[in-house]
Amino acid sequence: MSRGRTGLLAGIAIKHLVRRQRQTVVAVLGVAVGVGFFLAVSAMMIGSQRDFIDRLIDAAPHIIISDELRSPPPQPGTSAYPEGAVVLRGYKTRSEARGLRDWPAILAAAQSPAGAIASPSLTGGITLRLSGRQEALAIIGIEPAIEDRISTISDRLRSGHLADLESTQGGLVIGEELATRLGIGMGDVVAARSPSGATRSLQIVGLLKRGQAGLSDQSGFMLLREAQSLLGRPFIINRIGVRLTDPYQAEAIASGLEQRFGYKAESWQARSADFLSLLVTRNVIMYSVVSAILLVASFGIYTAVSNSVTDKRRDIAILGAIGFSRGDLQLIFVIEGLILALAGVLLGWLIGYGLMAILGSLRFPIAGDNQHLPLDRSARQYLIAAGVSTLAGGVAAWLPARKAAGVEPVDILRGAA
Amino acid sequence: MIALDAETLGRTLPGDPPITLVANASFELERGAFTTIVGPSGCGKSSLLYLLGLIDRPSTGTLRVEGLDTAGLSADRRAQLRLERFGFVFQFHFLLPEFTALENVLMPIRRLARLDSAAADTRARDLLASVGMADKVTKTPDKLSGGERQRVAIARALANDPAVVLGDEPTGNLDSQNSARVVAMFQALAHEQNRAVVCVTHDQAIAAAADVRITMLDGRVTEIDRSGPIGRPRSM
Repeated sequence: MSRGRTGLLAGIAIKHLVRRQRQTVVAVLGVAVGVGFFLAVSAMMIGSQRDFIDRLIDAAPHIIISDELRSPPPQPGTSAYPEGAVVLRGYKTRSEARGLRDWPAILAAAQSPAGAIASPSLTGGITLRLSGRQEALAIIGIEPAIEDRISTISDRLRSGHLADLESTQGGLVIGEELATRLGIGMGDVVAARSPSGATRSLQIVGLLKRGQAGLSDQSGFMLLREAQSLLGRPFIINRIGVRLTDPYQAEAIASGLEQRFGYKAESWQARSADFLSLLVTRNVIMYSVVSAILLVASFGIYTAVSNSVTDKRRDIAILGAIGFSRGDLQLIFVIEGLILALAGVLLGWLIGYGLMAILGSLRFPIAGDNQHLPLDRSARQYLIAAGVSTLAGGVAAWLPARKAAGVEPVDILRGAA
Repeated sequence: MIALDAETLGRTLPGDPPITLVANASFELERGAFTTIVGPSGCGKSSLLYLLGLIDRPSTGTLRVEGLDTAGLSADRRAQLRLERFGFVFQFHFLLPEFTALENVLMPIRRLARLDSAAADTRARDLLASVGMADKVTKTPDKLSGGERQRVAIARALANDPAVVLGDEPTGNLDSQNSARVVAMFQALAHEQNRAVVCVTHDQAIAAAADVRITMLDGRVTEIDRSGPIGRPRSM
């Protein structure tokens, strides 16, 4: 196909479109509105999904190694005769102190991927008492400097600093809801009692914002050393949180750690499998709806091109009589459809950009904070919208354009004479 | 030189009963001669013209264009042949309404794409000048009179220097003065430019000016009169 021929046919197509301004405008607007809303909707959906996954990833360490075992440890008898049919009855398991055994080695292994940070911690339950009221509290003993690097706790603090745990004897960080219930605030002292009966006075050095995923308001943070001492488990940790540079490696690294040490190592994906499958469903729904918008928009092109073919039967016959091929005639109308689609896409990009600007400027009060909508403004969405619309427009034009190729000049000439 | 050679050419529309438009037409038409096809309405004149112009396919018989048998040609090949070797002038001017006179004449030239755009432009302007339309090249058809439109249509028919020019009642919608002018042009195309010119007409004045007169009745060629004034100097 020569450029001259395409240019000539495109020239005819453009004249047709200019002549039929109203239909042209309607068809272009149809595509433009479709593309604009596709962009706005997908920006919100993908933006919120990305934001959600980011929160999911950041809410807790990427991998959590805990002192749980997925299956009971094999008995010496069975491991001594791996091929044999060994049945053991009535044996007693030795009661072991819970906690990760040999944890410095696990910590070193968890830190071996480049950029990985592992933070040891000890969790346990204590009771807070204040003037006759009692509240159960799950405390997490941490090394604030390390924990700060693997989690977003600092961002979730309403007041105070994580580092204050180090500088304050008996420092404690709890949720603001719990603090409100107990009627205490920053700097107040509260009595704590461990299951083993130890008691300690703790001072509030930080308050966590309410409504934080992965942290119930019954959780609190202490210094690891002090938690070990309060819970009566010196030098023991039962949880290692790991942060990776690439969170999507978590699954593989977790299973490697679990195989090597036997302790349960859970990646954020495994923890959030239900959410992730929900997102897949959400994506399927989103793409079906927004694709439907784009397809419906291309109906406008079908109508415009179809009417154009009907209107121009006489001109088609003339061009055919003077030597334009059927392919030429069909191409004129396919080009018409493509021009409509492309004009619609360009206008739709502007509409989408404008809608995103408006959506981006809105603020919504969420949990006491005014937040922007998370929007995904990547070029990928623009390209998908352009691709789908152009394709749909091409097909929508091609169907009626075949009628143009089917026009027999002799039928028209006979009718006219 | 034989431009068109029809041999037992026939065209029947399928149906019950089938309708015969043209039956058994045989004749040769030379370049340099002005031929008219005459006969009462519905006798198959236009149908014969469409067959000669490769716009319609014959049901029977063969048609050779400058010696080339057109029987087995594909639709695209026939379109290409129309573009290169034929020029058409219809009763209704059939110009494209959105385009200027110049663009209408350029259409077949650009489609054939043998001239660069400057040369194509020059050729189209020359053709319009030769039909007396030099000062109206930028006018669209709706700004032209009937006679002017028909002259633009003639210029378009000549765009690719065709061997054969076919007219389907080209003066049918013109007053006598414009009509005479068109007839003179057709004669000149045959006599001075050595093309085969074939015209379907009701108009006795045109028929009288023809070198060859083909008379039809009920789809059949009843008479071929070659007594016309071939080579007669232009009278108008």
